[in-house]
Amino acid sequence: MIKSPTRRVAVVNSAQTVLSSSWSDRQHIDLISEAATQALKGTGLRIDDVDFVIDSGSDFLDGRSISNCGFLGSMGAHHKEESRVEEDGLWALNYATNKIAGGSASVGLVIAYSKPSESNVDDYWTSLLEPFLQRPIGLDQYSAAGLIAQQYLAAAGLTADDLRAVSERAWANAVRNSNVDVDVVPTDEAFWNEDIATPLRRADMARPVDGAVAMLVCRAEIADEISSRPVWITGMGSAIDQHFLAARAPTSLPACEAAARAAYRMSGDTSPSDYDLVELSANSTVGELMVLEALGQAEAFHGIDHYRGDSPTLINPSGGALPADPIMATGLVRMHEAASRLAGRTGYESNDAHRALVHGTGGFGMQNHCVVTIEVDA
Amino acid sequence: MNIAIVGTGQTVHAKRRTDVSQVGLAREAVVEALADAGLTMDDIDSIVVASGPVMFAAVNQPEKWLVDALGARYKPVVRVTSGGGTGLAGALTAINQIKGGAARRVLVVAYDKLSEGALQASISTLYDPFWGREFAVGIMGFAAAYWHARITALGHTEEAAAHVAVKNRHNAMSNPKAHMKKEVTVEEVLASRPLCWPIKRLDVPPISDGACAVIFAADDDAMAITDRPAWIQGMAYYAEADNSADRSMLQSEPLQIAAARVYKEAGITNPFRQFDVAEVQEPYTCFELSYYEGLGLCPAGGAAELVMSGATSMGGELPVNPSGGCMGANPIGATALIRLAEAAMQVTGKAGDHQVPDAQRALVQAGGGWANLRGVAVLGAEK
Repeated sequence: MIKSPTRRVAVVNSAQTVLSSSWSDRQHIDLISEAATQALKGTGLRIDDVDFVIDSGSDFLDGRSISNCGFLGSMGAHHKEESRVEEDGLWALNYATNKIAGGSASVGLVIAYSKPSESNVDDYWTSLLEPFLQRPIGLDQYSAAGLIAQQYLAAAGLTADDLRAVSERAWANAVRNSNVDVDVVPTDEAFWNEDIATPLRRADMARPVDGAVAMLVCRAEIADEISSRPVWITGMGSAIDQHFLAARAPTSLPACEAAARAAYRMSGDTSPSDYDLVELSANSTVGELMVLEALGQAEAFHGIDHYRGDSPTLINPSGGALPADPIMATGLVRMHEAASRLAGRTGYESNDAHRALVHGTGGFGMQNHCVVTIEVDA
Repeated sequence: MNIAIVGTGQTVHAKRRTDVSQVGLAREAVVEALADAGLTMDDIDSIVVASGPVMFAAVNQPEKWLVDALGARYKPVVRVTSGGGTGLAGALTAINQIKGGAARRVLVVAYDKLSEGALQASISTLYDPFWGREFAVGIMGFAAAYWHARITALGHTEEAAAHVAVKNRHNAMSNPKAHMKKEVTVEEVLASRPLCWPIKRLDVPPISDGACAVIFAADDDAMAITDRPAWIQGMAYYAEADNSADRSMLQSEPLQIAAARVYKEAGITNPFRQFDVAEVQEPYTCFELSYYEGLGLCPAGGAAELVMSGATSMGGELPVNPSGGCMGANPIGATALIRLAEAAMQVTGKAGDHQVPDAQRALVQAGGGWANLRGVAVLGAEK
């Protein structure tokens, strides 16, 4: 890693729409412009003060080629530098942070959105597979998660029923989260007990939702001026695993471990226990446990301990990705949740955490991982 | 911090590469770029994949598949996509990663395998599904409409555009990587079949399978890798919202904004005199004329005279597209990075038979979307 005279970068504000199973009465541009407008509100900055826009979204989910082109106006990108990062929004934040840290710009707007209700989500996932070997055998996101879960549960000595604690915690947190369209924890029998990909049940899988999130990032001098409590980005790391599912480690996520190592190192060799708050993304309950372990927040096969009694760390107080997964925006929503808590923004004051670990993922069977560390001044 | 291109690679571009998959195509360019830089994948800290719209070849987020072919396991891999200009957007990502301290040596690979998808159908999905797609204009329809306006307002005649086709197709004859090697005359271009008037068959480049890879490093890292780095003196990529009421296509505003910014960074005040060579991405001949004006190589309305004077031909004062440009090969997602690689080859004296003698400073232009995403870069033999 190069030690260069890079500038400090802060998240000064962020906003999201409600995450909903279907925003049937609003278009992409409506969701995006709501998030972008709210991210600027109260900062004293106007869209003209923003130097550049980096956005995340999916041509496949949008049903449009170069879909960012159609949304440039709603993103406020007219006559600005703009780039589409077609990964989870946390990678877009990564790009924006580098651009400011390197001195190429001062203020950036990072946007991620998703409207899977207008698309066939199963096609989104299976089209991620290379077409020669994995696609023809009928592999999909459910069977892949099920195959991984079987191996993990066997190695960890857990049963499918043990996973209920993970899902119940996530949905209970989502009920308390006004940004998620969930009023009660589901009670229907099929949701909790019907196998969708043995050993996983519907309750074990992330629920796709519509929504948009926007985040304003800037260099230190501006952050100090416009925010009483800037959230500093202290470390970032990302790493990808091989594409072929059968070639990957069966019960762990070494790419996530590599991403976390890079982020911990960059943040001044912090350790997992230095963090009071974790917001992570996962495609399933077992995925959530594996991410916790890869982040060093639990020993191998002990991720479940966080859901049995009191956890020393606050994990996904937002509910995480299981009750609300706006594909492509999930990681940036995690960052919005974590940064809002650290900054003590209205509606998020409940926690006195001052360091947070944020995780995003992408690709088939969580192939790609991004980890960002943030903190507020004590 | 000064950042340089320290290695480039390109596939042999062709109408249909049946001998390799998408990932094999990308790998071919990467292997050549690594060899050019004298590096291996172990030396690469981060990979940026830039490819055309994913629907072109029906594999969603294909960088995830590329990982296996490139040997990039456990490295940072991100894909940046921006239509036809995506290669330059990817290069800008790499530069920001290095400047931001996230990586020291970054590999950018751009590709498209257009023989495997329904190109025009995919392109037509650019447009708003409620009020834009009904017209089914694709890219050619609106490009023709704007060219027609420029013929009237700026004198970008069919004959002037034909000179672009003649020049670029002639230049491609000397480029060993070019896919299309057939010289044409002005008369042949003018007599070729209208596809969407005034755009005629020979105003249009081929559609190709191809890939390009470029490796970036800064300062001492660059000097340690090669004794001939191509230094990046400026690079920017700007957008224009589709629904802006004041949008004018007579001159491209995002191109003018990008050029002004990059020229300021690079100390360019008289582009026509200060550049020795230019590589521009011309999806149709009429665009190259428009770029001359947007890039300030001539005043508004001066493009026709400039191309017909021979000043932008090989041997002229400012050769444009010695590689043949898109007329030589047009793997859309790779074309912008190919322009950058070709410019790097020019200022490092590695362009072989299509070398502009003693080229010290090169101008690069690329763009995508519906002509609303525009990038500019300046490369030099010196910092």
